[in-house]
Amino acid sequence: MQIKNGKDFWSGLMFTGFGVAFFVLSRDYTMGSALRMGPGYFPTVLGALLAILGLMVFARSFKSSVEHPWRIFAFNWKLFLGAVIVGIPAFIWQKWMYANLGQWPVYVVNGIGIVLFFASFGKRSLYQILVITILFGYMLKPAGLVISTILLIFGAAAAGHEFKFKEVAIMAIVLAAVSSAAFVYGLGLPFPVWPELGN
Amino acid sequence: MELLHNLYIGFGVALSTINLWYAFIGCLLGTLIGVLPGIGPLATIAMLLPVTFTLNPTSALIMLAGIYYGAQYGGSTTAILVNIPGETSSAITVLDGYQMARQGRAGPALGIAALGSFIAGSAATLVIAVAAPPLAEIALKFGPAEYFSLMVLGLVGAVVLAHGSVLKAIAMIILGLLLGLVGTDVNSGVARFSFGVPELTDGLGFVGIAMGMFGYGEIILNLEKGETTEVFTAKVGKLLPSWDEFAYSTPAIIRGTVLGSVLGILPGGGALLASFASYAVEKKFTRDRQKFGEGNIRGVAGPESANNAGAQTSFIPMLTLGIPSNAIMAMMIGAMMIQGIAPGPQVMTEKPQLFWGMIVSMWVGNAMLVILNLPLIGIWIKLLTVPYRILFPSILLFCTIGVYSVQNSSFDSIQTALFGLFGYFCVKTEAEPAPMLLGYILGPLMEENLRRAMLLSRGDPTVFFIRPISSVMLVFAILLLIIIILPNVRKTRDQAFVEED
Repeated sequence: MQIKNGKDFWSGLMFTGFGVAFFVLSRDYTMGSALRMGPGYFPTVLGALLAILGLMVFARSFKSSVEHPWRIFAFNWKLFLGAVIVGIPAFIWQKWMYANLGQWPVYVVNGIGIVLFFASFGKRSLYQILVITILFGYMLKPAGLVISTILLIFGAAAAGHEFKFKEVAIMAIVLAAVSSAAFVYGLGLPFPVWPELGN
Repeated sequence: MELLHNLYIGFGVALSTINLWYAFIGCLLGTLIGVLPGIGPLATIAMLLPVTFTLNPTSALIMLAGIYYGAQYGGSTTAILVNIPGETSSAITVLDGYQMARQGRAGPALGIAALGSFIAGSAATLVIAVAAPPLAEIALKFGPAEYFSLMVLGLVGAVVLAHGSVLKAIAMIILGLLLGLVGTDVNSGVARFSFGVPELTDGLGFVGIAMGMFGYGEIILNLEKGETTEVFTAKVGKLLPSWDEFAYSTPAIIRGTVLGSVLGILPGGGALLASFASYAVEKKFTRDRQKFGEGNIRGVAGPESANNAGAQTSFIPMLTLGIPSNAIMAMMIGAMMIQGIAPGPQVMTEKPQLFWGMIVSMWVGNAMLVILNLPLIGIWIKLLTVPYRILFPSILLFCTIGVYSVQNSSFDSIQTALFGLFGYFCVKTEAEPAPMLLGYILGPLMEENLRRAMLLSRGDPTVFFIRPISSVMLVFAILLLIIIILPNVRKTRDQAFVEED
């Protein structure tokens, strides 16, 4: 058997995975009857349907007349495996870590898992953008809008093809000023502009 | 005359200073993102959703609507001048528009695009004003069975019009429906698929999904492709088309308007489909068809009128039935729900100010857009010279701030990043993200109506085929599905979408 259509292969796997996951997870909820549907009814039916459709797409990838290479994106198995190895224990023992070690280890372990997961899909521009987004979301409250914005702009610009330090620095400062003025002072969104020191 | 009375209410709302201002902002932003390739109305509306919290619902919707139809105007500018569609719905304008520009007729091409869009926009506004009330009245009589069947029909329509594999489009819809179910179940209070994460009990954030799948997907793909810096040199020249050119284009504008208005109403329809269909029709109807692709002005006038008409009439199912016909309308429904308005036929009777204000504002906005686009064309051209390496960090910043500000939640940024990755995956594997967003919006509604219909019929599933309106819709849906699976239709459908790529 040879994979003829890489696009169908991957999306088929994805659909089947989601379908099975939703189907299995729905088993935890009451099904009810057709007359009185419980919370499990609709997702069970849909999950099964999705899994079947996914298998059809998957099967089609072996005898498709349209040909696409198997490697449609630079997928890295080792990093993906690493993400699974870090991620699953982190998820299971999250509560324990939180109670015994405090919040920082939780953040660090989860962070490593997420970075590995994103990085396993190859392209630096891809994972750098995604990771910087999450960092921004978690930095905004403690570090304030100005510092977060500067970090985001530098991180994003470094993911691009050309990186001119001076240009990026000017852009970062201007955007930090504009976003503070527009969002905090203009629209009144409750973001801290500067880091909250002392308290 | 009830229509006149309604329009009178609408003008009262739309012409108030504050709403004029937001219509202007919407049109301005719409033109801006329409001109800039690499950012579409979907991502922009997603970015601005949080901003609209602070506005009153009418102003918010007026602004968001302006972004959508404004983008249709702006998209043509880039298509004509730089040979890149600024918006997917302008993809077809590139063919003849750019040729006209190369022949030194950029001005008339831009002029006819704007005039055609204005004429189409005005006509489509009237269509909405006339067609919406009776439709809403019918919809008020709908029971849960009818609603369920209507949603099935709408989703099947989205499959037909998604390009690429039918199987994958259906799978994406089902995945969307399932994602829509994440969160607390209204009937039983059970938190479904939340994995104990408190943020997930409220469901997956709409803004995060839309922004991740559309905003981030686009940015990542653009970065991967690499920057194509085009030095811009074309001269625009005089803007207004000559009388001859205008007379020659008029039939194309009329055909485009009619076609766009009809296609916009259909489930899954909207600007994109309308422009492609119009180009095909113009090719058939015009005698000197060999000139198409070499700068025939009808090739600009028709599709540009059609995409604007389609963009506007696609508001009809959203406003009257509360059912989105495309991903943008799904965003509009998201905006309404955030504002605490339940979309549906009751909006027209319960909130006439909002309903008619929005409709009239579309006409006002179209008038503004002609002014924004013709005399100010020089400014938009300047914008085109801004390189993407400057543009994308700014877009990213507004995306991240937007996502965060919905609930002031850091968790939302993880969700957005995950959907960004998923959006990238979907584009790479040619699984269309738009049907998924429709499914996501309709998921809870569909489940709710299915439950109620079954309860009312005492568990008898034949109710969907016994009630006349419901059965007609289901039969339509099944027919559509059968038709699209037929090999012949599939071939033409594939060809229709080829030109786009």
